[in-house]
Amino acid sequence: MGQTLIYGILNGALYGIIALGIALVFGVMRYLNIAHGSLIILGAYGSLILFRLGIDPFASIPVLMIILFLIGTILFKSFFSHFIGFSEGNKIKNSLLIAFGLMLVIDNLATLIWTGDERCITPSYSGISFEVFNVRIPVIGLAGGLLALILIFILHLFFTLTYFGKSVRAVSQDHEAASLMGVDINLTYLISFAISVSLASIPSVLIGLQAFSPTVGIRWFNKGVIVVMLAGLGNIYGVFTAGLFLGILEAISVYFFGAPYREVTGLAVFVLVLILFPQGLFGRKGG
Amino acid sequence: MRINFKNILLIISLIVFLVFLPVMIKSEYLINLSLMFFLYVTLAESWNLLGGFTGQISLGHSAFFGMGALITRFIWLGKIPILLALVGGGISSALLAGMVGVPCLRMRSAYFPIGTLALALIAEITVGNILPVPGSLSREYILEYDIYSRYYLALSVAVFTVLVIYLVVYSRTGMAIIAIREDEGAAAALGVKTFGYKVLSLMISSFLAGMGGGIFAYQYVSYYYNSPFELSWAFLPTLTTFIGGLGTIVGPIVGSMCFLALSEIFAISLGEVHVLIFGFTFILIVLFLPGGLISIAKQSRKRINIRGKKLFKHV
Amino acid sequence: MLSVEGLNVHYEDLQVLWDVSFEVNDREIVALIGSNGAGKTTLLRAITGLLKPTSGYIHYDGITLNNKRPHKIVGLGISMVPEGRRLFPKMTVLENLEMGAFLKDARQEKQETLKLVYEIFPVLKERSQQLAESLSGGEQQMLAIGRALMAKNSFLLLDEMSLGLAPLLVENIFEIVVQINNAGITIFIVEQNVPMTLRVSNRAYVLESGHIVRQGDAKMLLNDSNIKEAYLGMSPV
Repeated sequence: MGQTLIYGILNGALYGIIALGIALVFGVMRYLNIAHGSLIILGAYGSLILFRLGIDPFASIPVLMIILFLIGTILFKSFFSHFIGFSEGNKIKNSLLIAFGLMLVIDNLATLIWTGDERCITPSYSGISFEVFNVRIPVIGLAGGLLALILIFILHLFFTLTYFGKSVRAVSQDHEAASLMGVDINLTYLISFAISVSLASIPSVLIGLQAFSPTVGIRWFNKGVIVVMLAGLGNIYGVFTAGLFLGILEAISVYFFGAPYREVTGLAVFVLVLILFPQGLFGRKGG
Repeated sequence: MRINFKNILLIISLIVFLVFLPVMIKSEYLINLSLMFFLYVTLAESWNLLGGFTGQISLGHSAFFGMGALITRFIWLGKIPILLALVGGGISSALLAGMVGVPCLRMRSAYFPIGTLALALIAEITVGNILPVPGSLSREYILEYDIYSRYYLALSVAVFTVLVIYLVVYSRTGMAIIAIREDEGAAAALGVKTFGYKVLSLMISSFLAGMGGGIFAYQYVSYYYNSPFELSWAFLPTLTTFIGGLGTIVGPIVGSMCFLALSEIFAISLGEVHVLIFGFTFILIVLFLPGGLISIAKQSRKRINIRGKKLFKHV
Repeated sequence: MLSVEGLNVHYEDLQVLWDVSFEVNDREIVALIGSNGAGKTTLLRAITGLLKPTSGYIHYDGITLNNKRPHKIVGLGISMVPEGRRLFPKMTVLENLEMGAFLKDARQEKQETLKLVYEIFPVLKERSQQLAESLSGGEQQMLAIGRALMAKNSFLLLDEMSLGLAPLLVENIFEIVVQINNAGITIFIVEQNVPMTLRVSNRAYVLESGHIVRQGDAKMLLNDSNIKEAYLGMSPV
């Protein structure tokens, strides 16, 4: 049981980071970027390429961050900036549709370039795990969990100490008022979107170290969005905890019901939360 | 589409043409292709009822398609006539829609796509886990396999689907669901039972999609049970309907035709190029031509409203 | 100096402002009075760039503001205390004030400006770590004004400050407005509370259904019988 729990926690951390990227864009500009999963997979391929050039996957994270940031700005300017001024409902729908198209484009481009074969990055330390109290903790998983914590911490500093971070929070709470303070909201949207895409670099590497293929992005997005809804749409801070919650819940269900029904847990949780807590488990916006 | 003599003549001649096609051209390739076309049309039209006419964009219709395929297959293999099996498949899809689709409808409508997507994804993975071994037909079933009867069955289901959609859309129910699409708040204020109509639309849509799935199951001698649950079956109707013309009856047909044509052209060369093209076209359509290809031909501005701003303000 | 000429503003297809013209000279307090729905907030939104006018001009210190984006207009010297305050609810009092000083120059002088604002509104200093949404109505109004002051702009737009405030607080706030004006800041105040507004202003304009129908010296308008009847609920005596 303990072993399953550990895996659940580590998975949960991964879900949390994925959800963070989704929640950031959604919280700031009410866009639902369902291509986020595909961007993660894109990053995984990037990491694979860099690995073949001799760069350790974890070391490739900063590089991927920058590349994904640039891709994010290009995507925003080309496609997502056109409806930034719409009403909330229409922003969600339009962003969803555009991202859907984008996902298809990215996934199929990836299939064309790298074929549909499943890949995996295998550095020398892939199989290693620590043993603590009869429980094995894979090194990679642990590193992932630590990275997640560091990321959350850095983001927290960013949002509370930097002027730009504060302006992002301000824009997500009241964008008109923010513009009256002198904040260039279009620029803020652009950079927030780009940051969200660059955040995909961490899950990229972690997933790259597991298994991935061109079309699995949507599965990861699905996990992420369930977590975002658990935390309450617009709540960026509760997202990580919600991720852990989902991970642990899945682990428990696997322990009792077996692996084939793992995904059903996610759905059941999703539907239940929607019915019982329309505002999410952790209430509303954390900004 | 107005009911006038010219239109009815057109439709009847089209149907007659399709009925006699296998007789005129004896090509198994063409029959299979046409069968695929009828399948696409059935799925897309069913999707369009919910997505185009009621404004609830489902990104998970593969769950209903797959469910219909699964149940139809089992019923049919239980020695029950295919027509009943198809109906059974449709009903099972509607039941699934009732169980999981309805809670999705309870969300604010902007999140319905995500809910259905989650459903479809989980269905795909779970079915793949529970039934990993491909299904196959027993010898006697293989012996009586006949492509022509399947062709006509698929054609009938497609025609039936389009007919049902047409009847619904031009009925009072149709007025209600279009009102919901345009402005749900206003419709509710006018006394329209919006939730009830959304559920009705979902039920009809999933039933028809289930029947489409049944055709799929009927056609293949052997297939992986989670194959019709694959997300590509959810993306397909969305893509083809948008590109053909969301919220029109002809749109899904046009879109399906284009998609099939493209997939045949590119099938020989590279794998998924047609989806790539369609995906990109989809983005362009959403951004610049929400009425789809039909709107170019028709010049009617039914779907594009509000001075100058062509983006989807009312989907 | 702010000058508006022949401004026409539409909201969707509906025309809300018709040929509006007025000016505000440096260091003046000018009022715009009118009943609900007259178009006052629309006018302010047009000035601050949140709305695009259909035709007409808005000039500030010689620069045309018409098609500029809101954050640029703030940079040119105009700050607004919006109707309904529009604070950042999940940010603290201090963070709200800091956001007020977002502009580059204002940011550098942040600490000094903060001191000044705390002097004018001591309660804000007490509550500096509290979330904006947890403040009372009066405190929120003070925060909104303080936040606008942080930008160190010399032109301040006040939109319906007194809305929802107890009379004593309203008096308080108006006194502070005079204080701010004495320190050199030009004020354009939009209000439904006519008597208090006219008492503190130099000049005033009356907006009715999107048209400027009266203008003049504030004291004169205060004593005008028509105004008394329409806005002060007094019968012409």
